[in-house]
Amino acid sequence: MIETERREAPPSVGERLYRWLDARFRLGRLVEFVRHKEVPVGGHSMVWYYLGGTTLFFFIVQIASGVLLLMYYQPGEATSYESIRYIIARVPFGWLIRSIHCWSAHLMIISLVVHMFSTMILKAYRKPRELTWLTGFGLFGIALGFGFSGYLLPWNELSFFATAVGTDSVKSLPVIGQWLLEVMRGGPDVTINTLYRFFALHIVILPLLIVAVMGAHLLFIQVQGMAPAMRHQRPDRPGLRFFPDFLVRDLLLWLVCLLLLCVLVYLLPYGPGIPGMEWELGKKANPLAPAYPGIKPEWYFLWVYQLLKEFPAHLGPMEGPQAALLLVTVLMAIWALVPFLDRRASRGQSSPMFTDLAVAALIFMAYLTLKAWDIGGGGTATKLPDPRATAWTCAWIVLGVSSAVDLVRFLVYRQRWLAFSGAALLHVALNGVFGVNYLVAGAIAMLVAIAGVVLTSRKNPAAGLEAPK
Amino acid sequence: MTAPVAQTSKPERRSVLNWLLGVGLVGWAASVLYPVLRYLRPLSDTGAGGPLKLSAEEVSTLGKSHFVIARAGTRKVIVFEAGGALHALDAKCTHEGCTVQFVPGDSLLWCACHNGKFDLDGRVLSGPPPRPLTKWVATREGDEVTLTMETA
Repeated sequence: MIETERREAPPSVGERLYRWLDARFRLGRLVEFVRHKEVPVGGHSMVWYYLGGTTLFFFIVQIASGVLLLMYYQPGEATSYESIRYIIARVPFGWLIRSIHCWSAHLMIISLVVHMFSTMILKAYRKPRELTWLTGFGLFGIALGFGFSGYLLPWNELSFFATAVGTDSVKSLPVIGQWLLEVMRGGPDVTINTLYRFFALHIVILPLLIVAVMGAHLLFIQVQGMAPAMRHQRPDRPGLRFFPDFLVRDLLLWLVCLLLLCVLVYLLPYGPGIPGMEWELGKKANPLAPAYPGIKPEWYFLWVYQLLKEFPAHLGPMEGPQAALLLVTVLMAIWALVPFLDRRASRGQSSPMFTDLAVAALIFMAYLTLKAWDIGGGGTATKLPDPRATAWTCAWIVLGVSSAVDLVRFLVYRQRWLAFSGAALLHVALNGVFGVNYLVAGAIAMLVAIAGVVLTSRKNPAAGLEAPK
Repeated sequence: MTAPVAQTSKPERRSVLNWLLGVGLVGWAASVLYPVLRYLRPLSDTGAGGPLKLSAEEVSTLGKSHFVIARAGTRKVIVFEAGGALHALDAKCTHEGCTVQFVPGDSLLWCACHNGKFDLDGRVLSGPPPRPLTKWVATREGDEVTLTMETA
């Protein structure tokens, strides 16, 4: 094709290079593929198609800034903290690189979480994209692993205790718990050996793993294309050309992300100061110092942290943390298996139950996270926040926002299946407003949710999990 | 006559070979994995439980701030003075492993991570810790403080 068009003019260097490569690797097929690649249009906003890309952008920033930090960072009892301090205080633009690494990490998690919830609510996981969802869930887990392992590396007080708590919960795993705990920590306690292991995890093991899983995730998307909207499925409608139309928009958004990152890094180099989202270096870790109030993990772990607090010392035959961890595992397993549980979506039918499940998950985590921030608890440097007052304030915030969301869903989007989010709101109201024990309130809410599922599947089998008609 | 015999014996020979191959592969995987898994688990330090002397620095910290946290092998022990007597307990909270501290005003041990409280003998007073703190015996002779694990 190119030969017939450009017979007269001598081919440019680029063209000659292309032909040279094409003769060896048959690039023509790839060009054909890219030329025909389209992004589906219609049904819902295009915004949701860009979030995987922005997550990738922040991940690339993480690799670049992480490699730069490695030039000065020295893991070790006498060097970890000191080398980070040196990077911030002495190395030209060192504060900038570290701040970019920290900010971009948080923005990456935010982008990833929004991407995951939008995939959930739009049912983009439905057949044939179950494996894309599963690999995406794996990437979510690896990203959390990056956050958790990187948190310890500055070897300061906050990260030391957050890691002690975070790794300790592993011990309640059956059979392998103790083994895994010692393998993670490099001993029975968090010591500098833990930092060495986390360092290896953070800069070698997890990067290798994420490249493999991300490769599969992207490959699946290339082979299957992006998921069209559930409603308004019109295969005849032409999509947006990927190249150059979508790609240019994608890159423009990357530029906006970069600008956002620069502004945040410039204005708030040590983070917004929200617990779980700040990276002042603080004091060096001292394994023999007692823990102090206000030790909190990163914001995306706060709901688990708060859940650990809500559980009593013993629950039936299990210890509290063990039961809490079991609950988190079950919830995560349900989340990972959603494409296989949601049989209606896999047949291309609307499945309001799973839309509501996503909203209920948000309510559940939002309430716990707000509580973990002690909002409304009136805590000061000398006085511990009052858990009752905290629960009261957080409950009203969650109830207000979530009722508004459910009302909009009911009136504007005409969604009628609200049993899960309703149960989640009942849980919040019982615990926060009426002071019912968190677990008792949770059990009552669970019964309401189950009743909702059973009643719907009896009245109208088409709306439930069961096969329609 | 020979053909059917060959047909029936062939799959048998194949399945034996497959079985041997499978066993070989599992054996190979195990012989690779076991050393790696064993390598990853660090050696446990010995010496915990034996008598341990606090350093002069630790004794002076004890005098100044009512309590001190010392290493005993792989464990951490909190030594504190209350009611004129010297007490010692495991410093690691039984809930999620944070390090506890002594609150002289309230005569209790407190874990700041999840607000667990223990009495001076390590029994759980309130909060999420599932088990009491292990007791140690602290004895003072002149300026020397010695810790021994309580044998139940």
